[in-house]
Amino acid sequence: MAFILTFLLRRIAQGVVVVFLVSFLIFTLLRIIPGDPVRMMLGANVSEVVLEQKAAELGLRDPIYEQYGRYIVEIFQGDFGQSYLLGESGGAAPTAQSKQGGRITEEGERKREESLKTQRAHVIKLIGDGLPYTLQLAGLGLLFTLLVAVPLGIAGGLKPEKWQDKIAFFSSSLFVSLPNFWLALVLILLISTRANLLPAIGYKGFSYTILPAIVLAVELAPIIIRGLSVAIAGNLQQGFVDGGRMRGLPWRQIVWRHIIRNSSIPMLNLFGVQIGGLLLGGVFVTEYIFDYPGVGKLTIQAVLQRDFPIIQGIAILAAGTLVLVNIMVDLIATYIDRRLKY
Amino acid sequence: MATKDLTAVESTKKRGVSTTRRMFQLAWRMRGFQFGLGTFLVLVLAAIILPEVTDLSATKINVRARFTPPFFMEGGTLAHLAGTDQLGRDLLLRSLIGLRNALGIGVASVFLMFILGCTLGIISGYWGRWVDTILMRVTDAQLSVPLIVLAITILGVTRPSAGTIIAVLVLAGWPIYARVVRSVALAEREREYVRGAKILGASDIRIMLIMIAPNILPPIAFVAVLDVARMMIFEALFGFIGIGIQPPTPTFGNIISDGTKYIINNWWIPTMPGLLLIIALLSINVMGSALERARNKIFAGVI
Repeated sequence: MAFILTFLLRRIAQGVVVVFLVSFLIFTLLRIIPGDPVRMMLGANVSEVVLEQKAAELGLRDPIYEQYGRYIVEIFQGDFGQSYLLGESGGAAPTAQSKQGGRITEEGERKREESLKTQRAHVIKLIGDGLPYTLQLAGLGLLFTLLVAVPLGIAGGLKPEKWQDKIAFFSSSLFVSLPNFWLALVLILLISTRANLLPAIGYKGFSYTILPAIVLAVELAPIIIRGLSVAIAGNLQQGFVDGGRMRGLPWRQIVWRHIIRNSSIPMLNLFGVQIGGLLLGGVFVTEYIFDYPGVGKLTIQAVLQRDFPIIQGIAILAAGTLVLVNIMVDLIATYIDRRLKY
Repeated sequence: MATKDLTAVESTKKRGVSTTRRMFQLAWRMRGFQFGLGTFLVLVLAAIILPEVTDLSATKINVRARFTPPFFMEGGTLAHLAGTDQLGRDLLLRSLIGLRNALGIGVASVFLMFILGCTLGIISGYWGRWVDTILMRVTDAQLSVPLIVLAITILGVTRPSAGTIIAVLVLAGWPIYARVVRSVALAEREREYVRGAKILGASDIRIMLIMIAPNILPPIAFVAVLDVARMMIFEALFGFIGIGIQPPTPTFGNIISDGTKYIINNWWIPTMPGLLLIIALLSINVMGSALERARNKIFAGVI
């Protein structure tokens, strides 16, 4: 048990470093790249004075390390900040629309400030609202991926150079060659518009998850197919296969209990390293294309509108998730294969 | 087929041919690789030559000819094989120019991330110390930020050009190369010939360049080839979201994005360019996967 504890502590410490690094990189990147969030908040008609006042109030004109220090302190207090643009009740906060209001007096501006503070949505709430949808999409996408990729990968690995292998090879090559946005378009056209089988844009029920999940699965499947068939073909040549045959074990048992079990370790690692990142990126793009109300769409919109607090919060969430997934992968791997050390 | 390949490996081994060379020879014999290479070369030649020799224009508007379907449909003509778009521009020609742009960006970005990643990876693996510590944590951090977020953050505010797109892709793509090359350098460092060279007084730089660098190609060549396709997809995606090279210069992304509005009645406008892109990507991916198989065969004897 002590081993597990030191292992966990070490990995979590490393993970915390990574999460900090990610948040710092994103934080800095957002601030050194041109594109002023205050301009986005207040619109084009606001005078330079009001703009600077607002920026100073948000602390955006302080040195970056000071801003970052303040941000980190707030995070440890459980406060991930509030969105610059999104209102509490969904939709844009009042200032975003005030552009049409002609000249804005400083008096009125300050009044609006007061009301705005309470109305701007908390990042935690925004992420919490989107997360269930994203998890649903990611879960269904993974399920589809495994349903397609595991049989193909196992069959291909067990019969190298035979037709099973060729199917695995060409299907994975084809899948990686399908750009997700194009596939999404064609699926929407064929399945949603022409055949009217499944709904596609937005979200009004579970069926809206299916098409995005298919697009996601096509993106993820090739990696599993390739990884699995290589791992299984490698294990097929190991001594324990011949050993099992000599002892008279049925082939089915050798395959299931020995080959597949041994192949699951590299698959798990693949999962942690590759799928984690890919799933994240894939979910983001897919949600954006299908206008699916999850964290991904929130992120992409936030990035386009320079809504710093949302981007920062999601960066921390994403990096933290990846770190946790990788720790879990290592734990499960040592459970499946007792020869592995922590 | 399996036995034939095996004997080939044996015979080349005797002649003392390098692993890298054996890998390419093995891949070269695979039918998939030949198909991929053939298709790829045809497409590249078409993308380079056709736009120069044709009298059609990729940007000139021709209202009379707009919404011409592909040649196999009713109303289509052989003059516009893939049909025309909402402004009467030839889709095949525009797609080929898009392919030229995508290929240029894909190859250039992979080349640069290869150089950058390999250099850092060799230094980090062979020399180690603080460089290694920093590099590992930075790659960890880099790999946990989705490329697309990084890309929109940067491209959303600059006026996107080929240069900035390549810069973003390199920034997002180099860590994988650094990781793989680092592990190669770590393993080679302990080999006897390297230690021998060290005792004989070879400098670190000499060892890195002459002894370790030649070993990095087998495990990373296929990654680079597959990455060209991956970067082309990203280039297309950027164009689709509106942060790629801006119209009127045709790219797969902006052709498909503009064509989306007409998809219901004129499905070919966004679909045909996508098909050309997919054929190009498929040819590259098949080559990359064949290289991967060749490498696996040499190192582990598996598919």
